Amino acid sequence: MSDTLVESSAESAFLDLHKKLIEQGSPALAELQQAALNRFELLGFPHSKHEMYTYLNTKELVETAFGLSDGSKKVSEDFVAGHIYPGCESQCLVFVDGILNRNLSRLEGVSANLVPLSEAVSDQELKKYLLETIEDENDVFAALSTAFCGEGLVFKVGDNTQISGPVQVLFVSTGGSPVMHAPRIVWQLGKLSEVKVIEKFVGVEGGYFINAVQDWLLAEGAGVAFTQVQADVSDSWHFSKTRVHLHRNSRFHSSNASFGTQLARHHYDVRLKEEGSELRLNGVSVLDDKEQVHNFIRIHHEAPQCISHQHFKNIINGHARSSFDGTVIVNQGAQLTSSDQLINNLMLSNDCHADNKPNLMIFADDVKCTHGATIGQIDEEQWFYLQTRGLSARVAKELLTRSFAKSIIETIEFPEVVKDLNGTLLKKLEVRND
Amino acid sequence: MLEIKDLHAGFDGNEIIKGISLTIKKGEIHAVMGPNGSGKSTMAKILSGHPSYEAMGGEILFDGENLLEMDAEQRSLAGIFMGFQYPVEVPGVNNAEFLRMAHNARRVKAGEEEIDPLDFDDLLSEKMKTLGMEKKYKERNLNDGFSGGEKKKNEILQMAILEPKLSILDETDSGLDIDALRVVSEGVNKLRNENNALILITHYQRLLDYIKPDYVHVLSDGKIVKSGDKSLALELESQGYDWVTTAN
Repeated sequence: MSDTLVESSAESAFLDLHKKLIEQGSPALAELQQAALNRFELLGFPHSKHEMYTYLNTKELVETAFGLSDGSKKVSEDFVAGHIYPGCESQCLVFVDGILNRNLSRLEGVSANLVPLSEAVSDQELKKYLLETIEDENDVFAALSTAFCGEGLVFKVGDNTQISGPVQVLFVSTGGSPVMHAPRIVWQLGKLSEVKVIEKFVGVEGGYFINAVQDWLLAEGAGVAFTQVQADVSDSWHFSKTRVHLHRNSRFHSSNASFGTQLARHHYDVRLKEEGSELRLNGVSVLDDKEQVHNFIRIHHEAPQCISHQHFKNIINGHARSSFDGTVIVNQGAQLTSSDQLINNLMLSNDCHADNKPNLMIFADDVKCTHGATIGQIDEEQWFYLQTRGLSARVAKELLTRSFAKSIIETIEFPEVVKDLNGTLLKKLEVRND
Repeated sequence: MLEIKDLHAGFDGNEIIKGISLTIKKGEIHAVMGPNGSGKSTMAKILSGHPSYEAMGGEILFDGENLLEMDAEQRSLAGIFMGFQYPVEVPGVNNAEFLRMAHNARRVKAGEEEIDPLDFDDLLSEKMKTLGMEKKYKERNLNDGFSGGEKKKNEILQMAILEPKLSILDETDSGLDIDALRVVSEGVNKLRNENNALILITHYQRLLDYIKPDYVHVLSDGKIVKSGDKSLALELESQGYDWVTTAN
């Protein structure tokens, strides 16, 4: 990871910005932010041959002169209400420009302990964990996120607690000017606890850079059903890192639906740390024009008898781009691992682009692992078959592209999200299919 | 209803159909038989409007309209149904939903309102019952994971829902066991009336034990070499295709 090129002017702009942050920020977080900034300086912004950033060009992003947001910009209640899913009205957390807005949030129904990050770091164990993740961080943008994290949140669910109904987290970016914000949530789930979470990322105006980091720490037997909808304004930058630690018999089921932006990147780093833990990581993106979505995934099987499934599908039109760089690492001793990884791309235009790098590193000798990737176009025979039944070429093509996305969208456990995606994400397929 | 006049057709510049003329009137059943490679499937493809196949000469009129100028969708909406030899699997497209879309496309073409989903469900249940199809076919995806027999039944179900004027069944009997053949044939027979017509493309005579044709045509090397009534099929069965093809 040492092959970085120091874009001194780009980096020093962020270093200057950081000084302002420290002046106006919380002293309790300063140690974390400073440690992360040091890590950021060490890593440096990537050049195009950097292993983690082979398929995306971050030049424009790192050369943009960003300002800081303090979360004080107003967002109307109507705007927020329009993005809260039915059934989540009494359990929703609203972040505006990276900061939890308690006025817009509805927390009365949430049977969890919500602690501001600045208070939570007084817990030495948590602080130690956070500092260790900074020390191990190899993703410069995740380091940058922690260096600039605002008042984040620790969402603690006690042992044996099952939170009824989904909790929604809405990340609103106000945009309108080049502003960077870095929301941070640490989800701590106690033994045998369960939570269902829907996250949605939206923007009011473009130009912003949202750089989010989340940690999911699941104790023995905990279960999470997690759905993310990335629906930012297309003229924005969306980076996210999701770190997941799974202990004995815990389950993390995640589905991501992405609309893409001028540059969107999802980084998942999952550690199946103890026996019997299970991961399901699914994703679907529908991209058009110059939109991009890049997935970078590292799954570490560290213990025996763990299961991981990954299935990602991209529908790519116009000049859009996507990439998938995913590695499953099965450690020595992680016997009886069961892991599969599949990426399917449906290309709808001559100018769209997809890069895929499925990868397996196996150091145990009794495991079952599969991986694969496909890149294809609309199946001409299927298309013709539907037309022989009286469907127009356009309707038949739309039906086929929708059906391609369906197997992922069906894994989303929340009917309201599925309904939303059918009417918005998949609606994108209607525009250019002539 | 259908007039094929000196049709020449093929694909990739290769002429496979080398001058076929055939007239089909409403109420009639025509069987087109022939050995492998005689041009049967090309004839089915050209009638259904497959984009890879091209007409190289002659014309096809359907109810007086130039069929070769219509695309697959227009042909379907005009009342032509193609029962595929190998129905395509379309994962992710629900069978019942697809059938409703196809049914509605035809209603809209006829200037009628789209059918209410519940009314369509009743219609579908009724048609499935007459074909002896289990309800699970509604929930499954279009031909996805269906056995050969299930796929062919599903083709006939589509035919029942679309009520075409002219159906072309391409090797509908191939891959069916005798029980499935009986069910499929009974389904086809129930859909017959004096206003529609049927072209059965088949290699074997046994389908014609269940669906009685008015005319039998033997295709060889892209031409109709012999036409007759259903007794011709029996002669073919006993004497083989060589009897007709070498005689010409």
